[in-house]
Amino acid sequence: MLGGVVIDGVDVPEDGADAVDHAGQLLLRVADGDQDAFARLYDMLSPRAFGLILRVLVDRSQSEEVLQEVFLEIWQSAARFAPNKGQGRSWVLTIAHRRAVDRVRSAQASTDRDVRAGFRDMDVAHDGVAEEVELRIEGQRVSEALATLPDPQREAITLAYFGGYSQSEIAALVGAPLGTIKTRMRDGLSRLRVEMGVTS
Amino acid sequence: MNEQEFAELAAGHALHALSPDDEKAFETARRQHPDWEHLVTADAETAAVLAESVSEVAPPPAVRSALLAQIAGDTPAPVAQQAVEAENTPTAGPVKPRRWGTRSWFALAASLALLVGVGWGAVTVGERLNTPASVVALDQIESASDAQSETVTLSDGGEVTAHWSESVGKAVLVSDGLPSIADDESFELWFVRDGAAIPAGTFTSEDGTATALLEGAIESGDVIAVTVEQAGGSPTGQPTSDPIIAIETA
Repeated sequence: MLGGVVIDGVDVPEDGADAVDHAGQLLLRVADGDQDAFARLYDMLSPRAFGLILRVLVDRSQSEEVLQEVFLEIWQSAARFAPNKGQGRSWVLTIAHRRAVDRVRSAQASTDRDVRAGFRDMDVAHDGVAEEVELRIEGQRVSEALATLPDPQREAITLAYFGGYSQSEIAALVGAPLGTIKTRMRDGLSRLRVEMGVTS
Repeated sequence: MNEQEFAELAAGHALHALSPDDEKAFETARRQHPDWEHLVTADAETAAVLAESVSEVAPPPAVRSALLAQIAGDTPAPVAQQAVEAENTPTAGPVKPRRWGTRSWFALAASLALLVGVGWGAVTVGERLNTPASVVALDQIESASDAQSETVTLSDGGEVTAHWSESVGKAVLVSDGLPSIADDESFELWFVRDGAAIPAGTFTSEDGTATALLEGAIESGDVIAVTVEQAGGSPTGQPTSDPIIAIETA
């Protein structure tokens, strides 16, 4: 048990047995309008979701707004969660990430956006951008998996996921054709899946 | 569109990095090819694991109360307006027994940390000290420039404060109002680090108060947890029961 991979809310036994999807079980109850289950789901996943939103958005008060939007959306759309198509916690974190990225690309976030886009104006070498983002990656398992990727793949994934940049922005940022960025993302993500042992 | 092209779109979609046009193309192809759905699922799961590398950040309690009011059908006040009163009105939730194995220390710690966070202030340390080692350690911690503390209130009114300093490398737990345990049981201390529980000694308390020095050096981001185990501590070196206390030191 000790050596098993531990992700909060999900038990992942080392022997490859099916993980217990606590978040997914709560989501099924939330879909039935169970407010207590919703509160427990919030307590379980809001610190992770908030950390993620904050990472992408940077601005704290906007991140709080987005967190609230995200969990309200979860309350309203929990019925769409399909347990046979993935873990409950990734369903929640996917919504959190998408809403954070939506916000960063919206008009309200224009100031932060300019600051972020300022990487270009500051004439920072593109290596430096990816480095900047990567320095703040704490999770050992993920950073080790990321480290196995070729630099261009890691850069594309890091800028997209943690920086909230679109593929065309990344293409401009690193000076590569859009098609190349798309391929790097696909190859990088496939490799990460293998490295991290993600099953679905 | 062939499967390779779709796989590229699915990866971009999972990272939320597609242009609006590509997103439309992706959704169209996705509807036409249910047989490719496994690519979408796999990429989404992989992308979500990236979220695990981000540090947890406890959101302000006002967001929680606003949400619970919202789903209860009430009209929530804007988060910003509630923030001030929420700071002064810590909410305590029940600590429900839960089974853990290789399990959710951090989720649990995070939810328990929502109970309350109170500053140390000028609590009369002297009255609570039981053992010389913890006295010395507490003095060292308190005089360090990076001394920190965090207090949680237990659901039955008890209060536990963790004091720690990374430069000193020590952590001390000062407890008042601990639940009573059987004679053949001990409280066991744990550092929870990278999802694993590291034993940090045991202690007992006759009157619900205790000051305990954790064995071993505290590291950045550790969660300090306490479980009730058989006397002398869990024989397996792993917790066998739910934590009654979990304090994030990040």
